[in-house]
Amino acid sequence: MQVKELVEHLAKALVDHPEQVEVREIEDERAIVLELRVAVEDMGKVIGKQGRIAKAIRTVVNAAALKENKRVLVEIVE
Amino acid sequence: MNSVEVSAKTVEEAVAEGLKSLGVKKDNVNIEVLSEPSQGILKLLGSNKPAKVRLIVRRESEEYIMDFLQDLVERMGVRGEIVKQNARENSDSGLINLEVVGENLGVLIGKRGNTLNAIQYLANVVYQRQFQLERGRVLIDIENYRLKRKKTLEHLAKSLASKVKRTGQEVILEPMTPQERRIIHIVLKDSKDVVTYSQGDEPHRKIVIAPR
Repeated sequence: MQVKELVEHLAKALVDHPEQVEVREIEDERAIVLELRVAVEDMGKVIGKQGRIAKAIRTVVNAAALKENKRVLVEIVE
Repeated sequence: MNSVEVSAKTVEEAVAEGLKSLGVKKDNVNIEVLSEPSQGILKLLGSNKPAKVRLIVRRESEEYIMDFLQDLVERMGVRGEIVKQNARENSDSGLINLEVVGENLGVLIGKRGNTLNAIQYLANVVYQRQFQLERGRVLIDIENYRLKRKKTLEHLAKSLASKVKRTGQEVILEPMTPQERRIIHIVLKDSKDVVTYSQGDEPHRKIVIAPR
């Protein structure tokens, strides 16, 4: 599914260590959870001040997911 | 400047130094190792050879950010093309004005431009980081959305100003981006009846229209 690649694309451009970006997709009937993992020192780079970058990522992902008729949750995990 | 040659004790050091002098990140250069460092078996002889690398800037910033956005739009499942707009008069030369052209681009705009603003924000953060710039300078428009929004905001500002004048009560608007707030400040700056200012922190900063 494309939203996984979308999150990968965004995260890789934002971090210092793109090779350590990993996205895992967990899907059930109603929702898709995308777990985003980045290098520890890159955490702040995908979250941003007051979560602003994470929020923008979620806004873009939600727009892309509209036609899928499913909720997509992006979780940044350690 | 499109390439540099750097010598240092190790290849890593030479690369780091080269990136610093070019002001770009590793992803944006091709690295060519011209010579590996070697230490003479007899260090005492002082025959150490430094590492030497050449860094070549792969893509210019404008091309990079256009490619980034093109990939982004495709991964959002939208058929659209990123094109460069001609710079407007009096516009900042460092500004990159981009437009998405295509059909059914509403999904890229979102409610009150939410999605478009998020895309533009991310593009600017990426642009700043990849090229180690202090300020982002990418503006994105879709189907003249920005222009239409500008007209809407100007209209809103004027009608709220007359309401404030009539009631003597201040009005607080919904949160807006700096670009949008600027439009409202400008349209009301010469008003004899009201003053405008902003309150709160980004991204929840709002305009207040108050009686003068």
